[in-house]
Amino acid sequence: MLKGHLDAIVLAALEGGPAHGYAIIETIKRGSASTFDLPEGTVYPALHRLEQGGLLSSAWVTPPGGRRRRMYSLTKAGSAALAERRKAWSRFSSAVDSLLQEGRTWPA
Amino acid sequence: MAGVIDQYLASLRRELDFDPALARRLGDEVEAHLRDAAEADPAWPSPEAEQRAVARFGLAREIAVQFAADAIDRQARRSWIMLAATVAVTFVAMRLRIMWLDDVGGTASALAPLIDRYAFIAALVVGTIGWFAFRHSLTPLVICLGGLVASIAAGIARADLFVGGAPLHVLLPAAGEIALIGLLSWHVLGLHRRLRRTAALRRAG
Repeated sequence: MLKGHLDAIVLAALEGGPAHGYAIIETIKRGSASTFDLPEGTVYPALHRLEQGGLLSSAWVTPPGGRRRRMYSLTKAGSAALAERRKAWSRFSSAVDSLLQEGRTWPA
Repeated sequence: MAGVIDQYLASLRRELDFDPALARRLGDEVEAHLRDAAEADPAWPSPEAEQRAVARFGLAREIAVQFAADAIDRQARRSWIMLAATVAVTFVAMRLRIMWLDDVGGTASALAPLIDRYAFIAALVVGTIGWFAFRHSLTPLVICLGGLVASIAAGIARADLFVGGAPLHVLLPAAGEIALIGLLSWHVLGLHRRLRRTAALRRAG
């Protein structure tokens, strides 16, 4: 189920600013209280796919005395896509919540 | 002796050999990730810390399969765009040839006009159905390619284009459709290779 929403989750993880793959995974783990403990490598195909689609941009960055890393950032199209996916998710989750409500009586 | 991370990176680069540029870029990216992860492990520095970082990352083959599947999507999209361009140029070239034939008359067999027209229509119908229903399948692309090659060859033979001194406005679109057919064949072959490679990766996994 998570796989279908991975792209949106990755976009959301980058909303706070540019980050590299490892930091994105850590953000997802922390943000989901470790519920989404997916294999870390699965984030890279999503990052590359989103970049190919123009929703992310990336560049190599080497901080002074640090390790060279590829940093990803949301593009304008990425921010718009994230807003759109948020709305879609909100509609979907409200509908499922309403259907799964305990004690709900179905029309005969 | 190579460390656990080095061995994993070598195996990831091997699995991604269908795209050398991606293998290089991802290798560098993943190396930084794995070294960060290993250094964050309480047992660092040790082979166990590297082992845990690699285990959390996932199997190299499974990651390569995801990249290969994305590459198929992109290659299929490019192939369909190329097919649409080839169909459009073939249609224009066909109309111009027919106008030219009205002026000079054709010398090829009676079969050539039929192949010229109906192979094109068949390619158009299969292409339209394929686009809506089988976008990731190679079969409609190959059928369309065959239809267009037959139509173009029959059209050129029918008009004796390259021996009959046809005007430039007829020759240029014909040259364009030949060039596009070449490009389309190259894209379809690329898609075939990617599909085969991905299937092999999935089988091996």
